[in-house]
Amino acid sequence: MTTAAAAVYDPQLPGGAPAVAASARQVTKSYGAGETRVTALDAVDVDIQRGRFTAIMGPSGSGKSTLMHCLAGLDTVTEGRIWIGETEITGLKDKQLTRLRRDKIGFIFQAFNLLPTLNALENITLPMDIAGRKPDQAWLDRVVETVGLSDRLRHRPTQLSGGQQQRVAVARALAARPEIIFGDEPTGNLDSRSGAEVLSFLRRSVDELGQTIVMVTHDPVAAGYADRVLFLADGVMVDEMHAPTADSVLERMRRFDGKRTS
Amino acid sequence: MLLKTSLRSFFAHKGRMALSLVAVVLSVAFVSGTLVFSNTATSTFDTLFASTASDVSVGPAEPELGGKDTRAKTRTVPVDSVRKVAAVPGVKTAIGQVTVENATLADPATLKKVGPTTGAPTLVGNWVDSPRSPVEITSGHVPQGPDQVVLDADTAKKAKLGLGGKLRVIVNDNRDFTIVGIAAFKTTNPGAALAFLDTATAQSVLLGGPAYTSVEVYGDGSRSDEQLKSDALAGLGAGFEAKTAAEQKADGQKSVGSFLDFMKYAMLGFAGISLLVGGFLIINTFSMLVAQRTREIGLLRAVGGSRGQVNRSVLVEALLLGLAGSTIGIAAGLGLAVGLIQLMNAIGMHLDASDLKIGADVFVAGYAVGVVITVLAALVPALRASRIAPIAALRDHGTPVEARSNTVRAIIGLVLTAGGGGLLVLAAGAEKAATGGRLLGLGVLLTLVGFVVLGPLLATTVVRVLGALLPTLFGPSGRLAQRNAMRNPRRTGATAAALMIGLALVIGASVFTSSVIKSTNNQIDSSVGADYIVSAGPNGVSPEIVAAVRQTQGVDHTTEQKYLEAYFTAPDGKTEKNGISAVTARFTEDFRLPVKEGSPDSLKQGALAIGEDYAKDHGLKVGDPIKVDYGNGRVQSLPVGVVMTKGNQLFDGNTFASLDTVSKAVPAADQPVDAILFAKAAAGADVARTLTGLEDALKQYPQASVRDQAGYKDLVQEQVNTLLYMIYGLLGLAIVVAVLGVVNTLALSVVERTREIGLLRAIGLSRRQLRRMIRLESVVIALFGAVLGTALGLAWGITGQQVLRTQGLETLAVPTTTILLTLGASVVIGLLAALVPAFRAGRMNVLAAIATD
Ligand SMILES: Nc1ncnc2c1ncn2[C@@H]1O[C@H](COP(=O)(O)OP(=O)(O)OP(=O)(O)O)[C@@H](O)[C@H]1O
Ligand SMILES: [Mg+2]
Repeated sequence: MTTAAAAVYDPQLPGGAPAVAASARQVTKSYGAGETRVTALDAVDVDIQRGRFTAIMGPSGSGKSTLMHCLAGLDTVTEGRIWIGETEITGLKDKQLTRLRRDKIGFIFQAFNLLPTLNALENITLPMDIAGRKPDQAWLDRVVETVGLSDRLRHRPTQLSGGQQQRVAVARALAARPEIIFGDEPTGNLDSRSGAEVLSFLRRSVDELGQTIVMVTHDPVAAGYADRVLFLADGVMVDEMHAPTADSVLERMRRFDGKRTS
Repeated sequence: MLLKTSLRSFFAHKGRMALSLVAVVLSVAFVSGTLVFSNTATSTFDTLFASTASDVSVGPAEPELGGKDTRAKTRTVPVDSVRKVAAVPGVKTAIGQVTVENATLADPATLKKVGPTTGAPTLVGNWVDSPRSPVEITSGHVPQGPDQVVLDADTAKKAKLGLGGKLRVIVNDNRDFTIVGIAAFKTTNPGAALAFLDTATAQSVLLGGPAYTSVEVYGDGSRSDEQLKSDALAGLGAGFEAKTAAEQKADGQKSVGSFLDFMKYAMLGFAGISLLVGGFLIINTFSMLVAQRTREIGLLRAVGGSRGQVNRSVLVEALLLGLAGSTIGIAAGLGLAVGLIQLMNAIGMHLDASDLKIGADVFVAGYAVGVVITVLAALVPALRASRIAPIAALRDHGTPVEARSNTVRAIIGLVLTAGGGGLLVLAAGAEKAATGGRLLGLGVLLTLVGFVVLGPLLATTVVRVLGALLPTLFGPSGRLAQRNAMRNPRRTGATAAALMIGLALVIGASVFTSSVIKSTNNQIDSSVGADYIVSAGPNGVSPEIVAAVRQTQGVDHTTEQKYLEAYFTAPDGKTEKNGISAVTARFTEDFRLPVKEGSPDSLKQGALAIGEDYAKDHGLKVGDPIKVDYGNGRVQSLPVGVVMTKGNQLFDGNTFASLDTVSKAVPAADQPVDAILFAKAAAGADVARTLTGLEDALKQYPQASVRDQAGYKDLVQEQVNTLLYMIYGLLGLAIVVAVLGVVNTLALSVVERTREIGLLRAIGLSRRQLRRMIRLESVVIALFGAVLGTALGLAWGITGQQVLRTQGLETLAVPTTTILLTLGASVVIGLLAALVPAFRAGRMNVLAAIATD
């Protein structure tokens, strides 16, 4: 039940960097104090491999979102250290964190991913706009092509279906070529067909574009698209699975539930 | 249960409510402040007049002719009338009183004028032991002997004069006195300066011989004032006039009344503006509260709440707001009244702030205004709330989407604006100023309402134009701001409306005032050839002053102007009272008369120059005779020599004749001193140095002042300044309320867009960029309001000038600096208003923002 990753790579060792896009060491996150203290993450060690699609699973309240937020620099940790690429982000000021998110990280949330006042294309290029960077047109075309939105670029979010909106969000995350993309249940609000579409885009962006993706999900089918699944329970990393399938993940989750209820 | 929901919601939105509250408070404060102030002022003066008026005051009868202006001699009653009145049954005491208004007080050491500078009178008279004197001696003693004077305490303090100091009294010539007593007002000082001499001295110095200006009668209580009045008049015979205490009081109130009225109307103007603008703020607040609670209200309806209940819950909140606002507003109004009283004290009108008169009317008006306006303003959003479909509760969360095109609104707005615009055009072209004025008023109203209705539609287009530069200038923050300002046009429109109204009024009024100034200046330039104007207030320009001016080096010649009154009888047989300005011969050189018909030279041949209106009313043309009756059997028939075009303030309403002509009917001894004196610099003389020379020459005449043309223009400017200050006051108020409105809207938008802000921050928008986005949105809204307001104000102001083009306002002046400053100010308003909302948005926790649902 130990995480293999910890043994493979210590970011402090030179030469190991290329393989790892993000890593956490002994990360603990607690809320509140005294009686009402909740430990959402308890000394978690994790490494996200570059160019791979990693899924994080676990029961509700197990700390998945918290872990993702901490990794992405959206939240501060109580203890431990986190690196994005070679940059340690624990201890960074808000200004530096913002810049880091802007330049190195892409986000796909479960819902409300887009600004209603901007059209699809403007939403896609927003992070680069904010950074004051010109989008790489060839890359942008390719991304838009990949997510299949070429004919919807001038539409406002309200004129797009939920699935299309999530695809725009995926395109936005991809367009800026971040070092790593974090998704918190990006298909949670979609029906299975739209969900499958979005997931296969994510998969393709890893395979074809070499993108690094971390995705929190509840859905074994979604996890089946990943290269590797990490299992969290009560804030502790309890297991991992390589080359998962929907069935194997479901099977693992069942054991999990069985163990918890027993 | 309903009340509980409303109360809970009321307190849950404290912040938002607080802003609307300020609007209600401001309106109510102005209304109640005005009432308290004018009640207090009226009661103070009532007490003053009641405690000082004699039972009956007997004076010389008003003559049919001859104004009090610049008359050398004060009309009097003979000394023995005191004895006669005292003999009337029921009279306890009769006191001969001397009081003149045409004296000037000066400090002989500095030759500076002593007394009020605000236009309030300087009264010099005899010291009498009256049972109801307005003053009492607080130090020193009563004046005894030919060189003693008593001065009122306020004037003494202002002039830094004390017991033993010297005071000069100037009537026809100068007399210096020693201050032997200081007298203080018993109740209040209405602003006048008072000086007292002993009776004999007062008679000789002020009246030129033994006489009184009035006899003050105090009854023994056995008869009514009315009875005393008629008995006294009967005992005296013709040539007298008497006023009972009540009549004196009414006269007194009339004289202070006009000033207090101005204050009152100005204040009510402020109240009106804050009501109007506040109304928008309240509508906006409730619209937003309702919009924000769409889901909640939908849920309430889904679980069976009726429309009426939803309606009522909003209205109950409004009622609470109105009540709270009115209560605070009334309290603030008291503060305002005290402040005003202090202000009055500062300018010399002494009211007692510790004795505020707070009547029931203050509460009635305060609550009526506050509650009614609030509830009315909340009615619109309340109705909208009740129309929310229960399904709204189930819809996805997000900013409520507005109906994109509102055809009905567009049509109504366009019809109103077009109608109003048409009226303005008609007004501008109207022949008669009165018709034009009425059309203007209606046009102003219609265009205002039209713009308010059109506001949301204009918001989309105007904001697009205004915001077009934002993305290029400010990058992503600029683009986001532009889109945000456009996404809710109704809200943007309503928010900007507050600013629009204020600025429209200000710009309209400043176009008007600058046109007044420019027109008058143009008239001065084109028709005044004289270089200097000498005036001497109520004393008139005495022959000594005329001589001093003539002898000043650099002065070529002077033109004297005397003012008389006469009855004019035109050939059509109609008679009316008219003023006539008698001018010396060089008048036609020093002034270019606006000739419509005839020749100015005819004045020298004994003709009259009359105004266009008078000529038109009586069908007069050059050569027609007019009978001029100066009273006392002094009559002459003069031909019309010139008909003057109207529209020049310097000549409008005036009739001119040469002094030689007038002297044929009115002997020089009976003529008043000059009302005004003009002087022309000699060719080649240094105009500025001559002015200094004149000032030096007139130093020993503190009552006289000299101005060159520039100084005269300044005087015109000073006269419109009062209006200007009021305009600036209005501007300030409009800005305060507008800032509140913008803050309100932004604060709500920030709350509504919490998730968006979270998202933006997550994907890398820095705090600084976020704050800039909010600031820019704010600036765009403010600028939008300013642009609309400027457009409206210009239309109003220009029309106003056109309406009055024949009344002396022939030159249009657009105050570009004011307009640019206003637009600049609107940017500042935007920045100010965004301060708090931007700060709050910047501080928002990214995660919490994302997690909000
Ligand atoms: N702001 C907070 N304050 C207090 N406790 C929190 C806070 N955020 C999360 N928690 C707690 O931390 C734990 C982990 O929460 P987290 O949101 O990471 O769970 P999750 O695995 O994402 O669950 P789900 O699958 O339901 O989204 C939970 O017990 C939660 O109650
Ligand atoms: Mg979660």
